[in-house]
Amino acid sequence: MNLKRVLSIAQKEVYHIVRDPFTLAMALGLPLILVTIFGLAIEFNMKEIGISVYDGDKSVASRSLLRAFSSSDYFHLNHTDRLPEAISILDHEQSKAALLIEPGFEKNLGSEKTAQAQILIDGADNSTVGVILGYLSGVQNQFGRNVGQTLSGSTAPFRTRYLFNPELNSRWFTVPGLIVIVVAILSILLTALTIAREWENGSMELLLSTPVRPIEIVIGKLLPYSLLGVGSVVFVYGLARVAFGVPFVGSHWFYGLSVLLFISAYLAQGLLISVVTRNQQLSMQLALISGLLPSVLLSGFVFPIENMPRFFHYLTSIFPAKWFMIISRSLFLKGSEPHELIKPFVALVVLNVVLMGVATKLFKKDVEP
Amino acid sequence: MIGLEIRNLWKKMGPNQALSGVGFRVSPGHLCGLIGPEGAGKTTLLRVLAGLLKPNEGEVSYLLNGEIRSFESIRADIAYMPERQSLYPDLSVAEHMDFFKELYQVDESTYLTRRKELLHITRLTEFEDRPAGKLSGGMYKKLGLMCALLRSPKLLLLDEPTNGVDPISRREFWDLLYRLVHQGITVLVSTAYMDEAERCGQVQLLQDGKLLAEGEPREILLAESVDSFDAFYLKKGAEV
Repeated sequence: MNLKRVLSIAQKEVYHIVRDPFTLAMALGLPLILVTIFGLAIEFNMKEIGISVYDGDKSVASRSLLRAFSSSDYFHLNHTDRLPEAISILDHEQSKAALLIEPGFEKNLGSEKTAQAQILIDGADNSTVGVILGYLSGVQNQFGRNVGQTLSGSTAPFRTRYLFNPELNSRWFTVPGLIVIVVAILSILLTALTIAREWENGSMELLLSTPVRPIEIVIGKLLPYSLLGVGSVVFVYGLARVAFGVPFVGSHWFYGLSVLLFISAYLAQGLLISVVTRNQQLSMQLALISGLLPSVLLSGFVFPIENMPRFFHYLTSIFPAKWFMIISRSLFLKGSEPHELIKPFVALVVLNVVLMGVATKLFKKDVEP
Repeated sequence: MIGLEIRNLWKKMGPNQALSGVGFRVSPGHLCGLIGPEGAGKTTLLRVLAGLLKPNEGEVSYLLNGEIRSFESIRADIAYMPERQSLYPDLSVAEHMDFFKELYQVDESTYLTRRKELLHITRLTEFEDRPAGKLSGGMYKKLGLMCALLRSPKLLLLDEPTNGVDPISRREFWDLLYRLVHQGITVLVSTAYMDEAERCGQVQLLQDGKLLAEGEPREILLAESVDSFDAFYLKKGAEV
């Protein structure tokens, strides 16, 4: 392998990147747009959830319950005087839930009977149900503590503390995962396009007739894109830390190493696609289907893999995204030690070897169809 | 100087039999023309000679000063210019030359003199900064030729270098080829323009992957009693 030839191919590739508005826009604009959308617009945390309230008891205990609701930032109470009114507000989707306190709530609370208040949640909006349920337990605990001081007996037995992300801030969860998506787009898509373009352009025929060796073409072409990938990771990392205040408690060098492995696995995948298709349009489609879709849907970025059917536990293992997602989140929030992440790390190494091997094997040194 | 001995080449490209038993010799230091209509097998043949395709049958011997050499050992002495556009539309003339200089590993001082000389004879000096995508057809072909010539090849394989080029640029291009042959480079050039056949010292006439005739252009015309190669192909077509 000749380093000067590799570098001259890399330099040529840089010219292409810099002069092609599409590539440049992808490389610079995409990470920014994605971080903005996922970091700012998509908010899995909900604040001020509208909740219509009917307090039929109007007692110290019921007011204490309402205070537990309103003292958290999560709920916005909408008081009504009649029970049907509270329900009709829910029906008309002006609130996400209704809290109904029957008369005799306080009395039951003091006695041996179980005190009950009813919560009706709009089940049509599936995504908010889980969030509301999550917050409810917090409110319940708060109420337990409130009434515990005034009324003896029935206090809540659990005190929950969330580790690693105490406020369950969804950005802390999303933004480290975003690195996976950004790398998926930059690495797979752009590499898949670059070698396919060389075939479409006819320049591959000329390149192959020169003394340049295929490995030099591959490394030379991948070099600028791996730098782009690293650059985008640094960019998203910086935004995560500075703009979103996401903590990073793990080992930086281990993270850096994993990033490099992850990027190279995706570069190899992009390379494999373009080597097989030799066609930009097909490459693009394959890159989206085999690269971007699994990275978003099957990596645990949005949908937890643990909740998927068993088949998907195995299927997702062939995607580098799943493994890097584990490493990224663990290092950002949990500060796991490298030895705890040995499994995803080894998986990334194995995927790298396989993808690189197959791509190099299929890279042709001639123009045979 | 490099000579070629091509024996009984067969090559199937997909469903088409592109070459059916083609064999001939190319004498060192000659300008040899591969003549034939579209689909005659010219491109396939040149790709085989450039090592880009493997023949199904038959072989090619590369003779360097009369001695048989392996393709790998003289690969660096062979330059190939594909028929279809193969340069980078966004790179300028100068950038192309810099790029290919590195690929061919031409040393800096040789490169500078060669580059100046090539730009001068192709008259592209003033277009140095123009991207290949914005060059005219003739200039584009000349740039391709310059890139191929940067490494001072001993064997030059040109696939329809004058296709789509205006008559004046074509004449210039041929003058350029004569200069190269004069320097001792063996040139194998394919063309579908029958009038260009007469410019070659030696021609191989191909049709449907078969060699119809070979030799000096004048002698072929005389032997077949036709007055042009157009007439030759019309006559052959009528015979089939």
